[in-house]
Amino acid sequence: MANLDTLSARQVAAGIAAGDFSATEVARAALDAISARDGQTQAFLQVSEELALSAAAATDAARAAGQALAPLAGVPVAFKDNMNLLGTRTTCASRMLEPYESAYTATCVQRMLDAGVTPLGKLNMDEFAFGSTTDSSAFHPTNNPWDVARVPGGSSGGSAAAVAAGEVTIALGSDTGGSIRQPASLCGVVGMKPTYGAVSRYGVVAFGSSLDQVGPMGRRVEDVALAMNALTAGGHDRFDSTSQNCDQDYLAHLDDSIEGRRVGVIPALLQAEGLTPEVRAAMRQAADGLAAAGAVIVEVDLPNMANSIAAYYVLAPCEAFSNLARFDGVRYGYQEPGCATLAEQSSLSRAHGFGAEAKRRQMLGAYLLSSGIYERYYLAAQKVRTLITADYQRAFGQVDVILMPASPTVAWEHGAISDPAALYLADVFTISNNIAGNCGISVPVCLGADSGLPIGAQLQGPAFADAQLLTFARALERSCGMEGSVAPAFAGKGGELR
Amino acid sequence: MKKLAEVLRDWEAVIGLEVHTELTTLETKMFCNCRLSHDDDPNANVCPICLGMPGALPVPNEKAIESIVMAGIATNCEVMRHSMFYRKHYFYPDMAKNFQTTQGPVAFVMHGHLDLEVSGQGAKERPDSTVEKAQDGSYVASIRILRIHMEEDAAKMNHVGGAEGRIGGASESLIDYNRCGTPLIELVTEPDLRTPEEARLFMEKLRQTFLTLGISDCSLESGSMRCDGNISLRRRGETRFGTKTEMKNINSLKSLHDALEYEICRQAEVLEEGGIVYQETRHWEPSRRRTVVMRVKETADDYRMYPDPDLAPFDLSDEFVERCRARVPELPDAKRDRYVATWGLRRSDATQLAGDPAVARFFEDAADVTGAKVVPTLANVMVNLVPSFKALTVAQVASISSLLAADAITFAQAREVLEVVDGTEGDPERVVDERGMRQSTDTDALGAIVDEVLGRCTAQVQQYRDGNRKVLGFLVGQCMKASKGSGNPKMFNQLLAQRLEA
Repeated sequence: MANLDTLSARQVAAGIAAGDFSATEVARAALDAISARDGQTQAFLQVSEELALSAAAATDAARAAGQALAPLAGVPVAFKDNMNLLGTRTTCASRMLEPYESAYTATCVQRMLDAGVTPLGKLNMDEFAFGSTTDSSAFHPTNNPWDVARVPGGSSGGSAAAVAAGEVTIALGSDTGGSIRQPASLCGVVGMKPTYGAVSRYGVVAFGSSLDQVGPMGRRVEDVALAMNALTAGGHDRFDSTSQNCDQDYLAHLDDSIEGRRVGVIPALLQAEGLTPEVRAAMRQAADGLAAAGAVIVEVDLPNMANSIAAYYVLAPCEAFSNLARFDGVRYGYQEPGCATLAEQSSLSRAHGFGAEAKRRQMLGAYLLSSGIYERYYLAAQKVRTLITADYQRAFGQVDVILMPASPTVAWEHGAISDPAALYLADVFTISNNIAGNCGISVPVCLGADSGLPIGAQLQGPAFADAQLLTFARALERSCGMEGSVAPAFAGKGGELR
Repeated sequence: MKKLAEVLRDWEAVIGLEVHTELTTLETKMFCNCRLSHDDDPNANVCPICLGMPGALPVPNEKAIESIVMAGIATNCEVMRHSMFYRKHYFYPDMAKNFQTTQGPVAFVMHGHLDLEVSGQGAKERPDSTVEKAQDGSYVASIRILRIHMEEDAAKMNHVGGAEGRIGGASESLIDYNRCGTPLIELVTEPDLRTPEEARLFMEKLRQTFLTLGISDCSLESGSMRCDGNISLRRRGETRFGTKTEMKNINSLKSLHDALEYEICRQAEVLEEGGIVYQETRHWEPSRRRTVVMRVKETADDYRMYPDPDLAPFDLSDEFVERCRARVPELPDAKRDRYVATWGLRRSDATQLAGDPAVARFFEDAADVTGAKVVPTLANVMVNLVPSFKALTVAQVASISSLLAADAITFAQAREVLEVVDGTEGDPERVVDERGMRQSTDTDALGAIVDEVLGRCTAQVQQYRDGNRKVLGFLVGQCMKASKGSGNPKMFNQLLAQRLEA
């Protein structure tokens, strides 16, 4: 029999439908893989064994009753721990929400469940998604499956690591400034940030409401496309007034030719400070691969991209300050014991519930929104946002997608970068995409010539051209030969289907 | 302290109002589907959204936006086609998210006005030199409205174990989130009001307008309509504003008037003694008829307002605005003018009837029954008799009005009949018949009584002929007595006059 490592989502669902194995067997194999591998990766915060087995049993019962199975029936999936799922805690990897039991299920999670997936649990992240290492989790760091001494990236580091180590087939992450694409690149998996509004944010604990977007991570572009089908099924979510109807079949054009289609590159970007030679070489390889598939490589420019970090670190902290104001220990979450007054309870609950980065960003936001400062920074940042969006519109008039790195380097060792500002600068390739609300995806290209660690190439596309983006991602995947890779140290450890 | 009239001779009072109105007639809250009802058990009408649970998002209630646009149209406001929701941050557990969703510099509706007709005793509060008054002393004051914006109400907090329900000293604080997220519209006037009476009339007219629109039950008592008054004084002729105080806990129109009157006189006393008025919030204590300091505002609060990224900006379409406009019913001023034009009612009666939509509907239903001729009598009955009864039916009021118009009973008898039928389905005509109240208008029968009275009251007849016309009343009384109350006094009056003048 097979190992889950080698099966695509489609193959898992098809195998269950054909009776090659049951959903319960798949769930047990996934639980087995998790117990064999997660001690090393520490990708999970909670493993929801009961939920997984009962969902699998329901899938098996449906099949036994002769019902048609849902497209992702029995596929092992886990969720970043900022997504509510009834029956689990939603902690955001923070002491503040450590005891918090989900009161309802997020739309994105529910839509995956509706597509038949088997939910295996909740994945580690940077606290409240503030970070790019997953080291700021209040509970434990997560290790990169390609080298457990290194970070998996972040903030969706648990999601990337769980997929890369073969603990699940698909994981959901969220991306506010690169938090899906950067860890996907560092862990050698496919990670997609859909267009803002394509996936409902209802039930996903907000960081930067105008920037946050949920997206799928997998070992194959096809798995990610299947997840996009599930996440957008039903169209607009009436519980998220910023959500759009993006319900379509993302598989339909996956294998279309990109012959004669145009791919933008930004030469100046490859000279960016801190970009390592092996990443530069990987970008060249990706461009060559796309050109070999028939694409035309065109030079484009995003002149205001250099200002995106400055704009982002104004807008995102402002929204974070506001979104995290509700965590005060009054209704739920961590409550400082033994306080005499309300003010004491709120401030001590927050002082002891939040970690350093969460405090730093909220204080930054509180400062930036205060009167007199707001006008100088927030309004200026919004103008930069308009300029960046206009840059993209111009560029997408010339090309279908733009190719660039997702991260300037491969994964680094835990603790190697301790200056927060240096970490912020590493987001340079991903942030502008969130600012403009476009779609983006990171696809593994190769192992770095110097480091031997995975390097992803990022493709960015215009808003609501998510299906087209996936077509290019699939072409890139075909040209690179990294499809379906589980990190070598983990391949085959548990996860055997009988 | 000096009296108001005296103070306002030397000082000009500058008053602005902030009026919060809960849209109580809607079915659901502003940003979620929870039922709007404050009567249920505490925290019965809550969900992840209004409790501010992690990950919950707001979705605006379109009906609430219809209501505020209607409120704007009815108060002569401009409908702003493009506006946004903002987040206003403050840490307090009555706001589950620790920010209130409200509107920024641009509200849904802005720049309106209400025109007040100030007359009678209330008009005397304003010194004649400051406004153009009609011969009877009445005048019109046009009060500009800066804006009406949409926001969500906070939860109710119940501080247990402390003094006077204040949080200071309480042993615990209970929070009921049923009210949290209730759609609330806040109207802000320009500082155009000059007397407590104008403020009272503004609130009364606003309340009548919103009641007519059917957007709220507008209860000042229960707090579904809440009014804060901002007030400062300046010497007559001065153009700069003085320091203002803010008045809270105003739960009736009378309180609004009295609190402002007190505060004007208090500020005048402070200023005249060379003191300083502090910018502070003051609490009206109706039982002691005074305002006391609630809190002093030393610095402006920084609410860190910014556009709510969870709610897309609004671009109201022509269709939407026209749909709202079409839903605005006839407003009290137009109704009053129609009553005067159609039935020749007294303006003051028409104003009173048109103000309260329930009263107006009752009146018009009764008018349909009585026919136009009786309507002036009906209006009189509605204004002077009906308010003292509990539960009269349209049919009863129509019937009693017709009886009065036909001179079949007296006003005093009408009151007696209504007392009998109040709260029942009883027919006034039957009561009149049963009690033999129906007054005779038979000229011959009444003439006989008149002749009899004139025959025995020779002294009074002589007095009348000598020019003492007042004695006629005595003679009418004698006739009424002789007829055992069954004669029509108006007829007796006419018949007596005819004979005496002959």
